[in-house]
Amino acid sequence: MSSAQPHQVKDIFLDGPIDPAFVGASLAKHATRTDIGAHEIFLGQVRADAIGGAAVQAIEFTAYRAMALERMTLIREEAFARWPQLTCLHVHHSLGVVKAGELCFMVFASAPHRIAAREAVAWLVDRIKAELPIFGKEVRSDRTHVWKRNS
Amino acid sequence: MDILLFGAVAEKAGASILHLEATSVDALRQALIARIPDLAHMRYAIAVDRQVVHHDRPLHGGEEIAVLPPFAGG
Repeated sequence: MSSAQPHQVKDIFLDGPIDPAFVGASLAKHATRTDIGAHEIFLGQVRADAIGGAAVQAIEFTAYRAMALERMTLIREEAFARWPQLTCLHVHHSLGVVKAGELCFMVFASAPHRIAAREAVAWLVDRIKAELPIFGKEVRSDRTHVWKRNS
Repeated sequence: MDILLFGAVAEKAGASILHLEATSVDALRQALIARIPDLAHMRYAIAVDRQVVHHDRPLHGGEEIAVLPPFAGG
């Protein structure tokens, strides 16, 4: 394992839900990049799962930020190594309370052609869900809560 | 050493930082369960310097240690 510092650590976290307008604005910023031919965007939305009759109203996300950002930097570098055609890659995840129906996760990849963007996003979503220390408290309509866990 | 706690583990402990002394990861696991008995029935991982450890290893006291319940990002 190299002890070299990752060359660029980007903060992926934002407070509260991801505004759909933010997604649109992110997309609009790429209009000047005319070498791009394909965007692939994954958006995670909080689902009102019913657990024993009480529906999930919101998820309150917390994270071990230092580890999450360190892992994300490595995953990002691996993605660019696997799909060198990628033009750019943007990852955002919510912290704090995100209500059912709101967005909490965005993975956005762009490339000259669709295959690299599509494959990279699918791979990134799986890696991020499995490896980033992000925790979610599902708050239910009866005011009880359950800790979410990715399978 | 300070142990960072997250999510369900922090909730059970009633704190987000615990102070414990341990000279190995296995000793740390025992000390944690002595302090947070519910941990014996929970799934969790231990991270040393922001990497999940799967085996015992010595601890010298300067490491950043965290107790991590199952991840739920996405």
